[in-house]
This record gives sequence, C-alpha cells and structure tokens, in this order.
Amino acid sequence: MAPRVLIVDDALFMRRMLADILKKEGYEICGEAENGKDAIERYSQLKPDLVTMDIVMPKMEEIDGIGAVKEIIKTDPHAKIIMVSAMGQHVLVIEAIQAGARDFVTKPFQPSRVLEAVKRVLGK
Amino acid sequence: MHEESYRELFFSESEDYLKNINQAMVKLEAAPGDKASLEEIFRCLHTIKGMSATMGFDNLAKLSHSMESLFDELRQGRIKLTLTITDKLFYCIDIVSQLLEDTKNNQESNVDVNLLTNELKNLSLAGDPNEFFLTPAEKLSISSRPDLEGKFLKIKISLVTDCAMKQVRAFLVLKELSRFGEIIKTVPSQNILEEGKFENNFLVVLVTKEDPENIRQDLMGISEIEFVEAKEMQINSQNAIPGVADKDTGEHYVKKIQSMRIPVKRLDQLMNLVQELVIARIRLAQLRQAQKNPSLDEISFSFDRLVTSLQEEVLATRFLPIAHILDNFPRMVRDLAHNAGKEVNFLISGSEIELDRVILDEIGDPLVHLVRNAIDHGIEIPQVRIKNNKPAAGKVEIRVSRQKGQIFVEVIDDGEGIDTETVKNEAIRKGLLSKDDGQWLEPKKILDILTTSGFSTKKEVTEVSGRGVGLDVVKNRLDMLGGGMDFFSQRNQGSRFVLALPLTVAIIKAMLVKVGDETYAIPLMNIRETIKLKTSEIKFIQHFEVFRIREEVIPIIRLDKELGLDLKNEEKNDIPVVIVEAGMMISGLVVSAVIGEQDIVVKPLGAPLKKTRGISGATILGNGKVALILDAAGIK
Repeated sequence: MAPRVLIVDDALFMRRMLADILKKEGYEICGEAENGKDAIERYSQLKPDLVTMDIVMPKMEEIDGIGAVKEIIKTDPHAKIIMVSAMGQHVLVIEAIQAGARDFVTKPFQPSRVLEAVKRVLGK
Repeated sequence: MHEESYRELFFSESEDYLKNINQAMVKLEAAPGDKASLEEIFRCLHTIKGMSATMGFDNLAKLSHSMESLFDELRQGRIKLTLTITDKLFYCIDIVSQLLEDTKNNQESNVDVNLLTNELKNLSLAGDPNEFFLTPAEKLSISSRPDLEGKFLKIKISLVTDCAMKQVRAFLVLKELSRFGEIIKTVPSQNILEEGKFENNFLVVLVTKEDPENIRQDLMGISEIEFVEAKEMQINSQNAIPGVADKDTGEHYVKKIQSMRIPVKRLDQLMNLVQELVIARIRLAQLRQAQKNPSLDEISFSFDRLVTSLQEEVLATRFLPIAHILDNFPRMVRDLAHNAGKEVNFLISGSEIELDRVILDEIGDPLVHLVRNAIDHGIEIPQVRIKNNKPAAGKVEIRVSRQKGQIFVEVIDDGEGIDTETVKNEAIRKGLLSKDDGQWLEPKKILDILTTSGFSTKKEVTEVSGRGVGLDVVKNRLDMLGGGMDFFSQRNQGSRFVLALPLTVAIIKAMLVKVGDETYAIPLMNIRETIKLKTSEIKFIQHFEVFRIREEVIPIIRLDKELGLDLKNEEKNDIPVVIVEAGMMISGLVVSAVIGEQDIVVKPLGAPLKKTRGISGATILGNGKVALILDAAGIK
C-alpha cells in the first residue's frame, strides 16, 4: 500500500506542487490542511504516514506550523513530520526540530530533494 | 653575517613583533573586527613564522603558522572573534613568548605545540575533520564511562555539496546523535557548526554503547547527508587517565596567566580604598609632626612611601591610551568628508598617550564635535581650495601631547578659519557685546563668544545645536574636568582648538588656602603663581578692582565676598593673592592665607549641589574636615 501523506501549507500553489511531486512517485495524498489548527484535526482523523508542514503560516487560534508540530507529537510521539521552509528561516526550523520534526526541505523545491527526505524519513 | 648575529637579530626583532601583536590584540579585543589590527597581527605572525623557519626553530614556526592561519580566516571575516578564540590567542601569544625565551636560553621547552596547533585548528574553519585530537579534559570525559573502557566513536559526516541551511542540517545530526550518547566534541567546533560556516563535512566524537553501523544507518535517514562513517576508537592507553603528561599541560595553563579582566566596578572600589588611605596618610603626617616620636616617624615615612606607590599603581589601572576613542575617528572623518563632498587627509599623533578612563569617557563627544566642525565648517570644498592656492585635499589633525602633568589635545584644520568680523557683528546684534567692546575685541576673545550658550553665527556654527553638543557644551565639559580650552584661528589658514586636560580626576595636586576660617583647595594646574599685594597696588577700572603684574592687568576677585563669607577687610600690606588661569580667563583670588600644596582626593558633589557655581567638588582633609574645591573657571 502506498504511504499516505498529509500536506499542510497555506498556499494552494505550494500544496499542488508538493502533491504533484509526491503523486508522481506513487505516494497517496490522503489530505491537505491550510493552517496549524486544521493540520492537528486532519492528523488525528487520517493518521497519515507522513506530514509535510509549512513553517510560516497565518496563526489559527494561536497555532502556527511549529505549534502544530508540538501538538501532533504530543498525541503521537512517532509522528513523522518534515518541515517546509524558505531559506534563512533556520531559527524557526531548529525550533521545529526541537519540537520533534524529523527533517526539513527548503523552498523553492527541488523534487529530488523532497523525495529523498520523504523516503529517508519513511525508511526509519 | 655570523650565525650569532643572526640569532640576536632574530630575537630582538621577534620580541618587537610580539609587542606589536600584543598591542593590536588589545585593540582588537576592544573593537572586534578592527581591520587594521587584524592585518597587523597577521603580518607580524607571518614574519615570525618565516624567520623561525629560517632559523630552524620548528616549534615556533609551527605555532605561529597555526595562529597565522586562524587570523587569515578572521581578517577575511570567515569566522568571528569569540571570547574563546580571544582567550586562546592571548594564551598562544604568551606561549610564543615563552618559546622565544627558552630558545634564546638554549633551554628545552616543555610546551606541547602540537596540542596548541590542534586546538587552534579546531577553532578555525579549516578544522580538518580528518585530523582530530582529544584534550585531556575530553579524554577524561570519555574515560568517565568505565563500562566503555575508553572506547568511543569517531563519526564523520559529509553533507551534499549544495546543502541548504547547513547549520540546521548539522543541528539535526547532533540532535539525532545525542539520543545515542554524549557528544564529546565536534570538529569544527559547535560554534562554527551553529553558524553554518563550515565546509561540507564535520566530525563528531560520541561516547556511546550503540553499534557504529546502527548509528550510520540512522544518520543516513536524514536527507542531504551524502555519507557517514562511524568508527570505533580507543583512547590512547598511555593517555587514558590523565597522568604525567596531562599534569604538565595543566601547569602551563596556571603558570602563564599574565593578564586578566577585572570589572571596572572593582577597580573603582580599589580606587576608593586608596583614596581613604591617602586621607589617612595626611592625618598620620599631621600626628607625626605633632608628636616628634622617632619610631612613629619611621612608620609614618614608610607608610607614606607605600601609599604613594600604591596610589600610583592603582591610578595606572585607570589609565587607557587615548587611542581608545580616537581609533574610530578615521572612519568618521572619511564618512563626514564624503557626505560633505570634501577631501580630507586625517592625521592622529600621540594616540598612545594614556588618560584616566573617566576623562576619556567625557572628552569623546567634545572631540567628535570639534572634528565635525573642522570638516563641516573649516575645510572648504576642493574647488574653493584650489582657487585659494591650497591643495585640493584639506588637512585635519588631532595632536595629543603631554606637558607638565597635563594632556593637550589639539584639533587642527587648514580650512578657512573663523571670520572674526562675522562673529563680532553677530555678537553685537545679539546683545552679547556692545559696539564699543567690539572695537577692541581681541581675536582670542572670540572663543568666549563662540562658547557662550545659544550663540551661533550663520557662517560658522550653524546646525551645531542639532548635533548633540555645541561649543558651549565642549567648554562646560572641560570646565567640569578642571581643564581648559584655547583657540586660534587665522582667516584662510585654518583653526586650532587646544584642549588642556588633567591626567586624572581622582587624586590631584592642589593648593590649600584659607578664607576666613574655612579651608579651600585650588587645583594646582589652574594656578599660575601666588603673590602678595600691597593695598596701594590695587587699582580700579570703573568700579572693578584690578592689579598690574608685569605689563598685565588682572582683575581681582575677593573670595570672601564671592563665597558669601563677607569678612572685615582690614587694611594690610601683604594680601595673599592666588593667580588662577582657566582657559583664557585669568584672575587674582584674594585669600586670607596660603597653607600649601597637597595631594587631594576629589569627591564629586551630589546632584543637588552639582551646579554650584565656582565649586567643582570637595575633598576630605587630614583633620577629617571637608574642604571645597574651587573651580577657577566658574568664579567670575
């Protein structure tokens, strides 16, 4: 069965792009979310194998990308989350990793890098 | 040349270079990133390295080479000067000096140069992950896990060449590894890893029970990692437990501390205690005079000597070269000249002269102001200068010199000078001068006008108020410090401001005088001479009392009136007069008696009294009484 991925990003453009990259390699996009609060809910419903989480998103009820990571890890310590970040946001990414994110990819996407990160995190 | 003379030359020259390095290091520590100091140190180390290699002094060559490499990265801005690096460099400089000394005396050095060069390498980017070593402390942490019997993992990690946000990648790796055990060290250091300023690979020393292959596999689960090698190692059995070799190294660290940082607060506390001692000394001296006891004399004299030496030593800790504030000036001049569309050659001389830190703190702003004035208003634009037969580039110079216990700081420009006519007319217009006064106004008196609060001529002092300090503030600052200001200007030739500063404000030489029953102190640096006047020598100009001495007419100030004591003036024939000078102002202070010279400890007045005119501070006399210090510039 193909691994199921939840994509979290406030920009439809980015969600579409990530979904295309992943679908081409046979991953199943089981759901999408556009903010941190959504992501937490979708995660508990869908129990995906992997989440890609945009690091900078508008806050929804005080929850941003990092907040969502913390919340998800709290309910499922084994959650596999990959952060999506622009260059230069290293402070935020480090915070997300401390919160439990497993890896990160940088925008603009290089499909091979995204796929490598997904494969390695899932392989663990 | 004979080999012996080579040796001599080598040692004397190396010592000079080392001195330069030390000076530049101190500068660098005060202003990290100071390009000139970085270049200077780099150059000196390079020379020492070359000379040492030629002489066959391998240890010296090796150590200076490693230091030079680190400085190369510092001067190229590839790494930042952190406290760790500064401390290590100071230590290495001391070691170079020890090596020089040992070599000179044909002594075997027991310094482990390899250890140092490795440590330096670790501080630098060039920290080659292929080469690593463990310090005694690190070995100790490894052997503190008896279950591992000194085993540890050496893990090399290579990131893909175009890895984005390397620091985060490294962080991810370190976080992952810390799940398995304790990270003893990384090469390059964690600092550099955190800044992302490393090539694509790094090394981690990990103490763990985990199988190296498992760790390798785990790390390969992180993206953008190209390659991981994890190898089990064993600490060198001979060094496993800190033994003889390590103890040696430890001793060097302890022995070689030659400078240390002390908080300014602590120095001030020390100064306060010395000041109390100075007062106690005066009391003891008075007791000695009263008692005529030979053994008391002896103790008192040696106490006297000791306190004097102690006072000098403690005062010395307060002193810093004026370079501390002047170092930033070249850059400022460059920017100012650039903005004003002018060309300026800027010269500084005497910046090595040392001043009390308190005074340095106070004169920074005034000097900035004077230099700004020189560039904004003194130096003409190149076209005008050429028309006036001057070189296109103007000259601004700060000249510091020390004369008779005073420091002179001159700010000189070769610009258009101050137009005394304009100043005169403006002063008359503003009611600061009467038309008649203006007739005989000496050029030098112009300064008094320029430093009057609120005075400004369009031609010379525009915008000054918008810049923080005006000339009046400059003058007030100097008055407060017990200094003075002088000024010369010649049309089309330039201006010269001379600031006279005391060496220190903490303990000064003063003349003690009596006015009625009260004792007052007058700073010696303001006193020109003391004389005795006959009543008949006092003349009147209008209703002001004056006297004449050597062609000069000096106004008389009766201190008793000025200080509100109003003594009965008996007609006597030997009226003691202290002639004081402050900046351009000279006056004769009439006192009841002159007591004599003494070192006094200046205590500033508290806030409510701070602005008392004519009084700059107070001091405690030997008898425990307080005497006020008269401010020569404030009494008018």
